[in-house]
Formats: sequence, C-alpha cells, structure tokens
Amino acid sequence: MSHSNSFRRQDAIFARTTQFFALLVLATLAGIIATLVIGSWQTLTQTGPKFFVSDVWDPVQNLYGGMAPLWGTVVTATIALLVGVPLSFGIAIFLTEMCPPALKRPLGTAVELLAAVPSIIYGMWGLFILTPLIASIQPTLTATLGQIPVVGVIFQGPPMGIGVLTAGLILSVMVIPFIASVMRDVFETTPAILKESAYGLGATTWEVVWNVVLPYTKAGVIGGIMLGLGRALGETMAVTFVIGNAYNISMQLFEPGNSIASSLANEFNEASDPAHMSALITLGLTLFALSFVVLSLSRWMLSSLKSKEGKRT
Amino acid sequence: MAFQVSLGDDAAAVDSPTKIELKHVNFFYGGFQGLRDISLTIPEKQVTAFIGPSGCGKSTLLRTLNRMYSLYPGQRAEGEILFNGKNILDAKQDLNALRGAIGMVFQKPTPFPMSIYDNIAFGVKLYENLSKSDMDDRVEWALNKAALWNEAKDKLTQSGLSLSGGQQQRLCIARGIAVKPEVLLLDEPTSALDPISTARIEELVSELRNDYTIVMVTHNMQQAARVSQHTAYMYLGELIEFTPTAQIFVKPKDRRTEDYITGRFG
Repeated sequence: MSHSNSFRRQDAIFARTTQFFALLVLATLAGIIATLVIGSWQTLTQTGPKFFVSDVWDPVQNLYGGMAPLWGTVVTATIALLVGVPLSFGIAIFLTEMCPPALKRPLGTAVELLAAVPSIIYGMWGLFILTPLIASIQPTLTATLGQIPVVGVIFQGPPMGIGVLTAGLILSVMVIPFIASVMRDVFETTPAILKESAYGLGATTWEVVWNVVLPYTKAGVIGGIMLGLGRALGETMAVTFVIGNAYNISMQLFEPGNSIASSLANEFNEASDPAHMSALITLGLTLFALSFVVLSLSRWMLSSLKSKEGKRT
Repeated sequence: MAFQVSLGDDAAAVDSPTKIELKHVNFFYGGFQGLRDISLTIPEKQVTAFIGPSGCGKSTLLRTLNRMYSLYPGQRAEGEILFNGKNILDAKQDLNALRGAIGMVFQKPTPFPMSIYDNIAFGVKLYENLSKSDMDDRVEWALNKAALWNEAKDKLTQSGLSLSGGQQQRLCIARGIAVKPEVLLLDEPTSALDPISTARIEELVSELRNDYTIVMVTHNMQQAARVSQHTAYMYLGELIEFTPTAQIFVKPKDRRTEDYITGRFG
C-alpha cells in the first residue's frame, strides 16, 4: 500500500514539475511582450502610428520612423522564401523519390550540416564571395531584366553588390537546410502504398509528388516553410554584413537597405538617447508582431487548405 | 479430397484469347530470387487468381505485370512478359502508358487526400483533357461501374477519407476503371475489409470480368474459388500449378497444391 502511495506522490510531483516548465514558457512570453511594450512606450505614445509609416530615421534630430527596416525585413524574407522554397522542394523530392540509396544519407547529412554553419560564416561568404559576384552580374541584369516595363525597376540600382537582393539570397541559402530537411522528413511519412496507387494509375514522379505527396504532407511542409521564414525574419549577422545598412525604401533590389534585426545590432551600442533606445525597442516589438502575424497566417492557410480537401464527416 | 466449395462459373473458363503471357520470368530483390522461371498465360476478360502461402511470390508476380517494382532500385525481372504481344520488360517500355492500361488496387484502400470526385478525376486528367461535363459523366460512369454511385453521388465534394473502408476500396476500383484500362490487378483487395464489404467487392469483380481482364492475389482460397476462372498456386517463388479454378479445388494435379488447399500445409 505504502508502495503505491509513494508512487502516487511521485506522479503528483512529476505532474507539477512538468506543469511548471510548461507555464514557464507562457511566463517567458508574457515577460518578453511586457518588456518590449514598456521599452517602446515612449515611441508609441510620442510618435504613435506615424512610426510605422515614416521612413525618416534621424538620430541627430531624434526623428524615428520604422518603415525602412520593416520594408527591408519583409523584402529580404520574401526573396529568401521565393528562392529557398522551390530549391528546398527540389532537394526534398530528389532525396525522397529519386536519389540512389547510396547517395541518400550523405546528401541528407550535407543538407542538415548547412544548418550548422554559423551565421557569421554565411555573412563573410556573402561579403567576400557573393557580393563581388552579384556586383559583376548586376550591369547585365539591369541591361536585360531591368528594361522590362513595370517589373524592371526591381533589377535596377547601383552595381555595388551590396543590397537587399544579396541579403535575400544569403537568407535563402540559410533557410534551405531547415525547409529542405523538414520537407524530406514529412515526404518520407507518405505511405508507400499511397504513392504506388498514384504511380499505378500511370502518374509521373512529378504528378505523384505534386498531387499526392504534397497534399498528404501539407501541414508539415507549411510548418517547415514557417520555420525557415522565422529564421529569415530574425537573422541578424549575415544580413548586417551585406544589406548596406541604409534607411532606404526602394523597389530597386540592388539598393542598400536595412532590416529590423540588423538595425538593432548596429545601433544598440550607440543609442544613448532614450528616444533612440525606445525607437529601437519598438522595432523589436514590430518584429515580434510580424512573426505572430506570419504564424497566424500559416494557421489560417492550413485550415482553409483542409476545407478545400473536402469534409470528412 | 478437397473440401466442398461453391465454385466460380467454370463454364466461363473455356478458351479465351491470351491477354498477358509470361515466359520464364525470374525476379530478384537484390541478391534474393523472388520468382523462379514462371510461365503462364492470363486469358482475356476472365479472373485469374494467384494463391499460396505468405512469401510465396504471388504479390511479387502481380507487381511485375505493371512494372511497379521498377520504382525500387535493386529489384529486377528477367524473362518476357507479353502484353498484347509486346514485351513489357523491355527497357524502352513506357511505364506510364503501361500503368494506364494495367490498373492496380491494393491491400488497403488508398484514397488520395482529396475529394471523391477528384480522386477519380485525378487519373483521368493524366491521359485525357475532358470538359467539365464530360468529366462529370466519366466520374459518374466509373462510380456506377464500381457500384458506388448511389452511396457517393450526394457527397462527391467530400473527402475520399470520409467513406467507409469498403466504400473506399470501391472508390479505388472506380479510380482504376476511370482511366479505361484493359487489365485490373487486385492485390488482396479485401484483406482489410469486413465480410459484407468483401462480398460486395467479390460481386463487383465478377461483374467487371465482362469488360476487363482481372488478375487477383488472394489469401482466401474460398474467394479464389468463388470469383476466379483460373487459379495459380505458388510456393517459394515457383508456380506449382496453374489450371481452371474448377479443377484445382476438386482435383489438384500436384500433391503440394492439394496439401495447401486442404489445409494440411504445415
């Protein structure tokens, strides 16, 4: 009897302990939000909503607008996903559907190892290798793609190699290991018999992946993309190296720009004025809100995809 | 002597043109030989059953008929399989076209994660560019053929997964029929179903025989007896006996076949 009593007590302690850790997550989240709101209070009350639509960032005159880094963050993350998602998808398809068994492990490990490369290394690679490369092809791009009406403007700008496009490309390389390895893992969960059913109808590998594997694994795929997006939005060091750090909003991708994370990294040390500090913290809060919006959007996307598939009752 | 079973319509087991002819087929999983020198002829518009204990190679044999094994590196077949007179083991064989002509249904129902309608339209779209109304007609035709139309007509937009197991399996048969194949391969199609659903599938198979050549793998000897006109008994990768179903259950030629169908098999 006493034996089972002591077990019951242990169970209760165990339950309480795990509950404590789970609640700690909530408390941490609440603490972060509270700190950010308190820190940004000055800007939020004094500058107000204008902060989010103004692109003036002038610490000398104490004028702060967050539009430029917000723009840079969104644009670089978008480029990262536009380039990274299709590449990751291709990598995952190859690894799960077509790769010779002997190559499967080495290639898979190599993709995962990309995630282990420190971001400072990506930053240096970006600055020393990618930047000159981009600079050398920029004139060609401007002379060709840049001449297309309307969309051509995004391929214009000074041929320095440093700018929003370079930052976005580095980010795309950095998100690939996350997205590709999640995609590969979830593609592997598709039952062989389901894929064989589609192959059995005469579908090609592409048709099987696109129409059967992808719908079957969409929750995991979207989760993987969100993981990559989270990294792209928050990445600091590699972006700071190549984005140019100019408070500048432009459709031209070759123009230097700024992202929220790189602004914070660059300016926190010099922010002696409370207004400057508060503006920086407001940027942090904005990034937090942005991630939250992205997460909510992905949830919404998932549920709407599910309803498209037909009711299950 | 064999036990009493109700035998399939053996009058149908008269001479019928050959649809598929296997000549000295050997099959290898890497270094392991799964099939040994199999030669047999599958007659058109009849049901041919493969029976035998687990691991005897009957599913392997079925999977050579649509080259499903080609998906997996290391699996290979030797010999000749003539489908409409053409060797499908030829390296130049167009696998997508082959699988369009030889459909397959699996042990477990495998509806795709999409609506009932799209489950059927998916395969059709691979081969034909139909207008919306033609596609509607095709979906209805296939569901009718698979005896599922009455149950499914009001919920075509619902997920294929919303159907019961037996209905899902009939959906898979409808999906296979919709692309208008010549041959249907059924790999233990009722092994995951309850007896009532099983009976409906068996009925359906007997009806489909009027239009399609059917090759079926089954664990269930009564099922082979009920629905097939020809039965192949396989053991350890070898074809032991291949005769009209009426004969194999009453008067098996080979001692090993008799042991298996009388349950004396150890």
